[in-house]
Amino acid sequence: MTDTGAGAIAFVTLLTIVVGARGIRVARTPDDFMVAARQVPPALNAAAISGEYLSAASFLGIAGLIVSQGLGSLWYSVGYTAGYLVLLLLVAAPLRRFGAYTIPDFADGRLGSVGLRRVATVLVLVIGWFYLLPQMKGAGITLQWVLGTPYWIGVVTLGIVVSGNIAMGGMKGITFVQCFQYWLKLCAIGIPALVLLIATGHASDRNLQPGRAPVFTRATVVQVPQAIGFTLAHPTRATVTGLLDQRRYRHQTVPLCACRHVAGAGTQIGFAAGAPAPTSLAMAPSPGVAWDSPLSAAGTDGAHPLVSTYGIIIATFFGAVGLPHILVRFYTNPDGEAARRTTLIVVLLLSTFYLFPTVLAVLTRLHAPQLYLAGDSDDVILALPSLLLPGLPGALLAALVAAGAFAAFLSTSSGLLVSVAGALSHDFMHGGVTSFRWCAIVAGAVATAASLLIGRFSLALLVGWAFAIAASSFSPLLVLGIWWRQLTRAGAAAGIVVGGGACLAAIVATMVGAATRGWSEVLLGQPAIWTVPLAFGVMIVTSLLTQRTLPGHVGQVMLRMHLPEALSRQDYRSSPLERARRSPGR
Amino acid sequence: MQQGIPGPGDLRDDTNTGRLLIGSLVRAQLSLSLMCLMLALTVTVSFPVVAALVPAVGRIRVAGLPLPLIVLGFAFYPVFLAIGWFYHRQARQLEARFTDLVDPPGD
Repeated sequence: MTDTGAGAIAFVTLLTIVVGARGIRVARTPDDFMVAARQVPPALNAAAISGEYLSAASFLGIAGLIVSQGLGSLWYSVGYTAGYLVLLLLVAAPLRRFGAYTIPDFADGRLGSVGLRRVATVLVLVIGWFYLLPQMKGAGITLQWVLGTPYWIGVVTLGIVVSGNIAMGGMKGITFVQCFQYWLKLCAIGIPALVLLIATGHASDRNLQPGRAPVFTRATVVQVPQAIGFTLAHPTRATVTGLLDQRRYRHQTVPLCACRHVAGAGTQIGFAAGAPAPTSLAMAPSPGVAWDSPLSAAGTDGAHPLVSTYGIIIATFFGAVGLPHILVRFYTNPDGEAARRTTLIVVLLLSTFYLFPTVLAVLTRLHAPQLYLAGDSDDVILALPSLLLPGLPGALLAALVAAGAFAAFLSTSSGLLVSVAGALSHDFMHGGVTSFRWCAIVAGAVATAASLLIGRFSLALLVGWAFAIAASSFSPLLVLGIWWRQLTRAGAAAGIVVGGGACLAAIVATMVGAATRGWSEVLLGQPAIWTVPLAFGVMIVTSLLTQRTLPGHVGQVMLRMHLPEALSRQDYRSSPLERARRSPGR
Repeated sequence: MQQGIPGPGDLRDDTNTGRLLIGSLVRAQLSLSLMCLMLALTVTVSFPVVAALVPAVGRIRVAGLPLPLIVLGFAFYPVFLAIGWFYHRQARQLEARFTDLVDPPGD
C-alpha cells in the first residue's frame, strides 16, 4: 500500500503543478492573473467550481463522521449541496452582473465605502484561514496514513506545494487544475465505492438494525497499530496476543467486560462473528442519539440534537453564498444567465459526488466494524479498501482514495489561498503581481503553522465552522445587498462585525473547551442557528436607523445587478430607425 | 421620445418610470427566488422535526435500509435539482417577458 499510495499522491501533486504551470505562460496582465479572463464556458466553469469546493471535509470528513456519529452527519453533505441551490436562487446572476471580483469589491462597489471594504477584507482572511486549517490537517493525516510520516510533514508539504504553485501560476492555471480535480475526485471516490459495493455483495444488514451497536459479521483479527483505549457495547470473549489492560497474553482467550480497555501497540485481538466491535474514544458516538437517527448530536452529552441539527443546516445552506474563494469563480461567467446555468450544473455535479461518501460510510458500518477502533474518524475511508478487498486490488483502490483525498486538499487550499493572498495584497499592500506572490507565500506559511495545532477536531466539523462564519457575515451582506435598496454602509458593517464576530467567538470558545454540557455546548458548538438571524437582524435594524446615509448611486447599482443582458447591452434590439426617432426627445 | 410609453431610455436615465419598471422586475425575481427557497427549505427542514416528533418515521425501512439513510443520503438531491431547474427556466422567462415589455421586438 505504502508504495502505490505514495506514487499516486506524488503523481497527483506533479500533475497539479504541471497543469498549473501551463497557466504561467497565459497569465500576463494582473487582471488575467486574478480572474481567468471571463471566458469560461458553463460546463467547464461548473466543474472548476465543484473541484474547488469539494474539500477534505467532503472527501474524508463526512464519511468518517457518518461512520462514527451516525446518519445525522449526512446533513453536512445535504447542506453543502443545498448551499449551491441557495446561491443559484439568491445571488448567482445579480452578482455576476454586478461584475466585482471579490466580496470586498462587492461591499465597496455596492455601498461605496472604503471602511466597509476593510472590514470585509479582514473577514475574508478569517474565513479563508479557518477553511485552510482542515485542508492542511487532511494532508497531514493522509500522508501519515500512507507513508507513516509524522503529521507535520503532510501539513508542511501541502503548504509548500500550494503556495509555490499559486505564487507562480495565479488563477488562469488554477481554472484548468480545478476542473481536472473535480473529475479526479469523483473517480477517486466513485470507483472505490462502486467496486467495493459490488465486491461485498449482499451480506447481513445486521449493523444497520435500529438501536444496535456494530458487531463483527465474521470472525476477525484486529491488529492495534498504536496504543489505544476502547470500549465494548457488551461483554464478550476474545483471543488476545500482546498487551491488553496492562497484562501480556500469548494467544489466550480472555473474557472482556463492557467497559474501558487499553490495548498496546501491535496487540492482536481475535473476535468471533457476532462479537461487539471495539470502539475507540475518537469514534465513540454522542450519547442520546442513535446511529440511524436523522439528527446530529453535538459534543459530549448529546443534548438538544434537534437544535444542533438545525445549526448545521443553517450554516451549510447559507454558508456557501458567503465563501470568499467560491464567488471569485462566478466572475468568469460571460453573463448572468451563464452564471445561473453554471450554478445549476454545480448542483448536479455535487449531488453526484456526495452519493459516494455515503456508500463508503455504510459499507464501513456493515462490513468493516474494526474501523471503529481507528484513532481518528477522518482516517476511515483511507483504510476501508484494503480491508474489504485484500491483495493488489484493495491496495490500488486505497491508493486511488489517497490520491483523490490529496487532490481535494490541493484544490480547495489553492482556491482559498488565491482569495486570501488576493485580499491581503490588494487591500493591505500596494497590489500587483509581485505583492500577490509574496502574500501567497506568507498566507500559506501562516495557515501551515496554525494547522499543526488543530489535529483533534474532525474535518467536517472544522469546515462546518468556516461555513458558519461565512453564513453569519457575508451571506447577509450579499443577500441584502442584492435585494434590498435600503441597506446602508453602517448597517452592513454592523451586521458583519456583530454576526461574524459572535460566530467566531463561539467557535473559539468551543475549541478551547469553554462549554462542555447542555445548551451552552450546543449553542457555541453550532452557533449558526443564532448568529445568522442575529447578523440579518443587526444589518436590517441598523440600516433602517441610518437611512439618511443611503448611497446616492443605489438606483444605478440595482439596475446593473438586475437588468437582463438583452437590455443592458449598449445597442438595444430596437431598429436603428427607432433609436434615431427616440434620440431627439432626450 | 413618445411620452407615456416606457422604453429602455427610462431605465438608462433613471426616470420615475424606469425606477418603477426595475422595481417591479426585482420584486418579481425576488418572489420567484423566495418561493423556490421556501419549497427547498420546507422539504428538508421538516424531516428532522417529523423524525423527532414521530420516532416511528426514523425506524421505517426501505429495501432493508433505514429511511433516514435513503432520505438524507439520496432523495434530497433530485429535489434540489428539480427546484434549481424550475427556477432557472422561470427566471429566464421572467427576464424575456420584461425585455419584451420594455423594448418590444416588433416595435
